[in-house]
Amino acid sequence: MNNRRAVVGRMNQMDIDITVKIGGEAGQGIQTVGHLLALVCRKAGLYIMAINDFESRIRGGHSFFQIRISDSPVHAPHHRVHILVALNRETLDLHREALDTDGLVLIDEKAESAEGSVINVPLEKLGKKAGGKIFSNTVAAGACLALLGAPFELCKAVLAEQFGKKGTDVVEKNVDAAELGYQAVKDVAFKWAFEWKPDTPKGTLIDSSRSIALGALSADCRLAAFYPMSPATGIMSNLAALSDRFPLVVEQTEDEIAAVNMIIGASFAGVRAMTSTSGGGFCLMTEGLGLAAITETPIVIVNAQRPGPATGLPTRTGQGDLQFVIRASQDEFPRFVFAPGMPDEAFEITARAFHLAEKYQVPVIILVDQYLQDSLFIIEKQLTAPEETERFIAGDDDMDNPSEYKRFAVTPSGVSPRALPCAGKALVVISSDEHREDGHISEAISDRIQMVDKRNAKVPHMIKEMNPPKEYHGDADILLVGWGSTEGAIKEAVDRLREEGMNAGALNFVDLWPFPFEAAIAALNRTKKFYMVEQNSSAQLGQLIREQTGLIHSGAILKYDGRPFYPNEIVNDVKEYVR
Amino acid sequence: MVSINDYESSYANQWCPGCGNFGILAAMKDALVSLDIPPEELLIVSGIGQAAKTPHFLKCNMFHALHGRALPLATGAKLANHNLKILVNSGDGDCYGEGGNHFMHAIRRNVDLTLLVHNNRTYGLTKGQASPTSDLGMVTAMQPHGVISESFNPLAVALSLGAGFVARSFSGNTEHLSRMIREGISFKGFCLIDILQPCVSFNRVNTYDWYKKRVYDLSEENYVPDSFEKAMSISMQRGDEIPIGIIYKKEKPTFADRIGILHEGSLISQTYDPGKLNSLLAEI
Repeated sequence: MNNRRAVVGRMNQMDIDITVKIGGEAGQGIQTVGHLLALVCRKAGLYIMAINDFESRIRGGHSFFQIRISDSPVHAPHHRVHILVALNRETLDLHREALDTDGLVLIDEKAESAEGSVINVPLEKLGKKAGGKIFSNTVAAGACLALLGAPFELCKAVLAEQFGKKGTDVVEKNVDAAELGYQAVKDVAFKWAFEWKPDTPKGTLIDSSRSIALGALSADCRLAAFYPMSPATGIMSNLAALSDRFPLVVEQTEDEIAAVNMIIGASFAGVRAMTSTSGGGFCLMTEGLGLAAITETPIVIVNAQRPGPATGLPTRTGQGDLQFVIRASQDEFPRFVFAPGMPDEAFEITARAFHLAEKYQVPVIILVDQYLQDSLFIIEKQLTAPEETERFIAGDDDMDNPSEYKRFAVTPSGVSPRALPCAGKALVVISSDEHREDGHISEAISDRIQMVDKRNAKVPHMIKEMNPPKEYHGDADILLVGWGSTEGAIKEAVDRLREEGMNAGALNFVDLWPFPFEAAIAALNRTKKFYMVEQNSSAQLGQLIREQTGLIHSGAILKYDGRPFYPNEIVNDVKEYVR
Repeated sequence: MVSINDYESSYANQWCPGCGNFGILAAMKDALVSLDIPPEELLIVSGIGQAAKTPHFLKCNMFHALHGRALPLATGAKLANHNLKILVNSGDGDCYGEGGNHFMHAIRRNVDLTLLVHNNRTYGLTKGQASPTSDLGMVTAMQPHGVISESFNPLAVALSLGAGFVARSFSGNTEHLSRMIREGISFKGFCLIDILQPCVSFNRVNTYDWYKKRVYDLSEENYVPDSFEKAMSISMQRGDEIPIGIIYKKEKPTFADRIGILHEGSLISQTYDPGKLNSLLAEI
């Protein structure tokens, strides 16, 4: 289709690979434009992947929404921009360099005059013409779609779906605005315009904020307690919006300490419960994490990572909490840690987290990050809820003698029958102090050893639940090893390296703790060299692999600037290493 | 009928001889028996401290949680099953110090539970440091020049936050305390009973005798606890005359009442409906 295909194309014959970046101040409606583009592309059967880049402020500053459009699945952002929609002058200055040769800039005439690749679209004037300044975003979306060659009818249909609830007047004004945008660029030739073939949507447009919320519902989570913190709040706002339709309470607490203790109380009383937070909030929750551990109360905590320490970069992404969460809290106890790579996987992991938390009576931590929380992906798999959820709760009928019930009875698996308070004759006695089998405080040497051993007895069973790292060309000479949300960028980098003749592959860890060391050794022993690809400054998974397997990575591609990986960055760094 | 023996715990008591907690424990048992609440229908949640050990010493369902965190944990249990009858045993350090923020917000939520604060105005389990309710100037080993902060007024704070049941009692008057606990358990909504209690090991100032000279029973003064203004004024009496009794009482919708989904039954009693969720998943 064009001469740049070789550069941007992938092994799966990507014919269309276009990136549109919309930038401006917070509050200017950047996301409105971006979401419209995403919805139109989805409706046309295209794949998209979009990142949200914003500052920790409500108004002003600089934000952008960057959407990659393709006819093949895309799971990472692209570094070259083909259309730059500059809602202010600053956007042009900041992103001009990322513009591809033959790329175009759409900008209001008030901000910059037209010259070369810069096209003037009087966004504000046309918006006002359509009904008000607010519609200038739809003008911008219309202009973009026109450049891309999208049929106007498609745009019109999406606007009707989007604004239908707000009434015909709002729909009509938006349609007028989009049409004015189309008209404004009708004479502009855009090199990457393509033929939009009629097709059906390839999947669901979703971020992990939403898919985790849905995953929790599919596991029958009934209490979500939280304290607002970017980038974790989206999970709770998704749940709150659904709380009228399901047996679910979403409670905003006074702090993260209250949130974690509240879900421990709810779980103790018999309903599945979760919280979500980011690193700083997780710090406050570590005391409660230990409480869940010693009282063997199942809970699920999502830690949506952002760079730290302390306040760090509130709206940016990172993977700096792995080593923290696997050991957070004083002393030792079993826990599960998972890091999904995509929103559909986050849905499944969330459901699995609730199941495993209850099966083993341990806390489960899900690690995501700002990138996964705030980026939109098309997922092709239909998300489904199970017909029933398996509960691991004992009632009087399951006991020989309920009045002799011991909450922490020693068993070979380390898991004791779990009764609920006030549910029968069995009295549930729980203490955060070290305790006897009946739950009462004990400082006896034998009780202490027995309880530590009992809790630890779960670990060999828990390791059996862990999936091996996901292989992508796992028999290659060089493996790129990552975890969680970097999967998309790493796999695309592998595709590109293989195109260029390098025998590269990837390993992506989702199930992180207890560390599946045997599977890791088997996978890593097949390769000559492996390189870590992580969003922290010390290769935390690399350290963990070394600790758990004795295997040492040959190098590490680390990004800790708070921005997501672009595949080309990984490609370039790998080439530096193997040159 | 429930008898006092039903509440006898086989677990050995760990308090100091003469501790005010014994009076509180006796009053609790008396109140629970007279209300005919069997142990299997009672949940006690506690924090950390000598007071928080209370549930170990009577037979019941219990969750002896973290220092300061009893209230959010109890709130979670109540959200899961708002039919649970919950008592919370806490101390002045546990509830007004470490758990001060949770104390405020549990009142705001109007969680239907009865909070017993064993207020001995000192830290017992950590050996005699000042507590939030110690008087300004009180000398301790850790505060050799005297406490330099004002004493926390739990009753005034609770009232100002809209607590519907605010009472004070004295561990040396088991009959009075039992009455307060019975009233508190029968009350629908958040209920604070601040219990004045000597610490025989560490508080040399606020002793049994000290309290006996100062406390007076509001019910003997024909006090009617229906006025917020009067209650605020009573709550400020902390000198030579210390009122005990119900200071303020007014029911209003509880936390669970205010949550629409709970009108259909407790969270735990509701059913999982995969059909509804699958249609939502197909919709998106």
